[in-house]
Amino acid sequence: MPLRPTFALAALAALSGSARADSPTAATPVHTAIDHYVDDAIKAAGVAPAPQADDATFVRRLTLDLVGRIPTPAEASAYVKAADADKRAKLVDRLLASPGFARHQAAQFEAMLNPEGGGRRSGALGEYLRTALAAGKSWERMYRELMLPDEADATMKGAADFLKSRVTDTDKLTNDVSVSFFGVNVSCAQCHDHPLVKDWTQDHFYGMKAFLVRTYDAGGSLAERGFGQVKYKANKGPEKLAPMMFLTGAKLDDATAREMTKDEQKKEKELIEQAKKDKKAPPRPAFSARAKLVEVSLKEGNADFFSRSVVNRMWHRYFGSGLVNPLDQMHSENPPSHPELLAWLAKDTASHGYDLKRLIRGIVMSQAYSRSSRYPTEATPDRKLFAVAQLKPFTPLQLSTSLKIAAADPAQFEGKKAGDLEKTLEQLESSGRGFASLIAVPTDNFQVGVGEALLFTNGDRVAKEFLTDNGVLARAKGLTDKKAAVALLVRSAYGREPTAAESTALVAYVENRADRLPEAYRQVLWALVTGPEFRFVY
Amino acid sequence: MNPKFFCGSAAHRLNRRGFLGAAAAAGVAADMTGLSVLGSPALAADLRRTNKRVILLWLAGGASQLETFDPKPGATTGGPFRAIQTDVPGTQISELMPKMATRMKDVCLVRGLNTRNGDHGSGAKLMMRGRRDEANLRYPDLGAVVAREMGRPDSQVPDYVTFYTQTEGRGMAPGDSGFLGARYAPMELTTNNTPEFIRRLDSISETDHRERAELRDMLGRDFVRGRTSDTLGSHAEAYGRVRGIMGSERLFDVSQESQATRDKYGPTQFGQQALIARRLVEAGVPFVRVARAWWDSHGQNFETHQEMVPELDHVMATLIDDLKERGLRDDVMVITLAEFGRTPGINASLGRDHFAAAWSMTMTGANAKGGAVWGRTDPRGNTVTHEEVNAANLFATIYAALGINPHKNYYVGSRPIPLVDPGADPIAALIK
Repeated sequence: MPLRPTFALAALAALSGSARADSPTAATPVHTAIDHYVDDAIKAAGVAPAPQADDATFVRRLTLDLVGRIPTPAEASAYVKAADADKRAKLVDRLLASPGFARHQAAQFEAMLNPEGGGRRSGALGEYLRTALAAGKSWERMYRELMLPDEADATMKGAADFLKSRVTDTDKLTNDVSVSFFGVNVSCAQCHDHPLVKDWTQDHFYGMKAFLVRTYDAGGSLAERGFGQVKYKANKGPEKLAPMMFLTGAKLDDATAREMTKDEQKKEKELIEQAKKDKKAPPRPAFSARAKLVEVSLKEGNADFFSRSVVNRMWHRYFGSGLVNPLDQMHSENPPSHPELLAWLAKDTASHGYDLKRLIRGIVMSQAYSRSSRYPTEATPDRKLFAVAQLKPFTPLQLSTSLKIAAADPAQFEGKKAGDLEKTLEQLESSGRGFASLIAVPTDNFQVGVGEALLFTNGDRVAKEFLTDNGVLARAKGLTDKKAAVALLVRSAYGREPTAAESTALVAYVENRADRLPEAYRQVLWALVTGPEFRFVY
Repeated sequence: MNPKFFCGSAAHRLNRRGFLGAAAAAGVAADMTGLSVLGSPALAADLRRTNKRVILLWLAGGASQLETFDPKPGATTGGPFRAIQTDVPGTQISELMPKMATRMKDVCLVRGLNTRNGDHGSGAKLMMRGRRDEANLRYPDLGAVVAREMGRPDSQVPDYVTFYTQTEGRGMAPGDSGFLGARYAPMELTTNNTPEFIRRLDSISETDHRERAELRDMLGRDFVRGRTSDTLGSHAEAYGRVRGIMGSERLFDVSQESQATRDKYGPTQFGQQALIARRLVEAGVPFVRVARAWWDSHGQNFETHQEMVPELDHVMATLIDDLKERGLRDDVMVITLAEFGRTPGINASLGRDHFAAAWSMTMTGANAKGGAVWGRTDPRGNTVTHEEVNAANLFATIYAALGINPHKNYYVGSRPIPLVDPGADPIAALIK
């Protein structure tokens, strides 16, 4: 049966750009291109976009998105008070350059590469990702290092974890590679051609598997054979041999596809044993199918999967949903909300060497990113239009680190050198890790369980680890003016001044408890950090 | 809407009320299993069906079918215990279960299980889910599915409670809501019979506890105006359920029961937990699992079963009677199940090993047919000779007997996930 061409690419090729004079070109700044396409779609839908978020909301959102925590009260008020026209760009650049950026983005990538780990563990892979992001490595380079790790290089130890944790299950490895790097879940096509999606047949799944089937575990280190093949039984007909084939249908002439002979198996075992004795890496094949996959996937004509997937993931990370949803269903039956925008961003990202910071900076500098999450009328526009910002529930670590900051003495963050401030923040982040492990990792359509509400309401950890007597609560207690004290707590948790109604209610609450003021302030802070305004990036 | 792409998110523009109205008008059952339904109490309440509940007696480690429901007296594999006649003509069970022998006309007995997995960990996973996990999808287990189907978003009682007090094997069979997420995660009880965080800390007074929560609600009121998000709704719902769930603490307190009732269940931990399970389902908790460990009798199989089966016999019989007396027989299904059974062959340590090729389970109550026996094994118990049942068929049957369509789909993104593997049908003969 001849393979069908992949429709996704055909659709891409057939895109008729809205050939207006002001259509973005290769020279257009990323954020300008984003706003061009997003605004076009909003206009076409005949809806009004939400207004731009105010400064206090924006600095909170950006700090959470880029460095994984709420801003300190000092950072929040400095941004709100700043009068220079380019304060937004300055803030973006400062956060992109901070160590917190590498840590938070690494945590996000780790959750993507190891979803079962729940994004809470931080082993060798996390360490590798942090180092790679801090060094400003491109996504292409990280992809190469994750797929073709050099275990002899001590600094690359963590990169091998992605393959190592899956090497004993080639089916899983095949699917996870396709999902993580190409935005395609081929697991459906394992047992039968995809019932709904013409793009994915069993040939695609087993064709991808053929690239990875030779990778094996040699007593704790990764190794690869120079031959080996995948056979599978199609739903109809006889057993088939699967040639190496990329998702685009690009096949590889492969002289090395054959079964291992008994002798070869024996020889291989001996070589591995010998390498172990010599404390050397296992022997490498003359032809590496895995390296071939990396090469083929980045080739002109095939690289769209790779570039579109990373763009879609980054879009999802900052906007709360992808241009294509779900993230692992990028195929012709599931078109993007903004095909031209996705194509433009993918092309721009590929032609700039898959520079993640460039892409992220472009996204967060766009007007689309900085809209309010509140829509003034009842009829909220379709989420797909990005006419109003979406709420994003905190990750476990965002929640625990932000709790630490909200409960800390604000003076702790003032008058420090940037480097010392970063150290303080990193310590707070580390000290919250234990608590973070109790919080569920958000997914699309995430539902907060009652377990979390019970933990915050009746567990003693929140009081013991966060709402302690020596942070902002000590400051509040020391103020004779109750109005000033509750304002301090609101600023610390929400990064804004209290409204008149809030101030009145909070002061009344505290005054009713004049005999136990420290407790009253603790309860006020508890009410602030368990409220929805604290739980979400909004 | 593209029929090939049902997006289970708030993004798809579907007027929920309108959808239901239209569906009702068209005379079809409104059934929408996009996960976003969770975020809409109104919709979920509209969609509530019959309110069936489940108590799962989980025989952790693998109880022996030969010393319980499928004895082979006189065979070389039979062991020392006799078989006794039950109240169902032609059906005998082990003499270790005299109480159940007089109640089998209420029990639906499956003797033809062949589940092909003799490993504690993956076997337990399989028998809690009815299917194998696949590379990129964590399936919800029976408890989470029943909680999702029978629970209410605003429920003031827990959705899914699991008792597993012994340590053996606990880590291998945790409750797991899979892709249904935190909303249906089980409340796990491992150290005592009262759930964690269900009780107010002594450091805060009742008044402060309540008013602090009111203060929290007040602070959030302005924030949610003009903002729409399913997750935001679930956050409010979670906190909204706290005081109700705290109020359900008394459900876990057996001292609320008469001494006579407590005596009936007996003083054992298993008995007490079964009584709590009954209190919970009566109050509307959709799913309770009570695990009894550890049946893994690689050595001394007969002593182990001589000790543990009579307890199972007593607790199971008491529970079935009690549910019946309280008029709950048609609403609550009691299931006995494990990760597998035990080998007919007796090893050198007089033990029986792991065995998944021919073993038994039971369902009692709801729409499971009492007195039915499904599946036959050969005279030594080595193979299923008639009416073989795999995990998928079994789960299809359980769902059908609870009034849940086993072929309905959940959606993970756009991908339809049927409750049981495609092609697995319920066993019609076992359903009323």
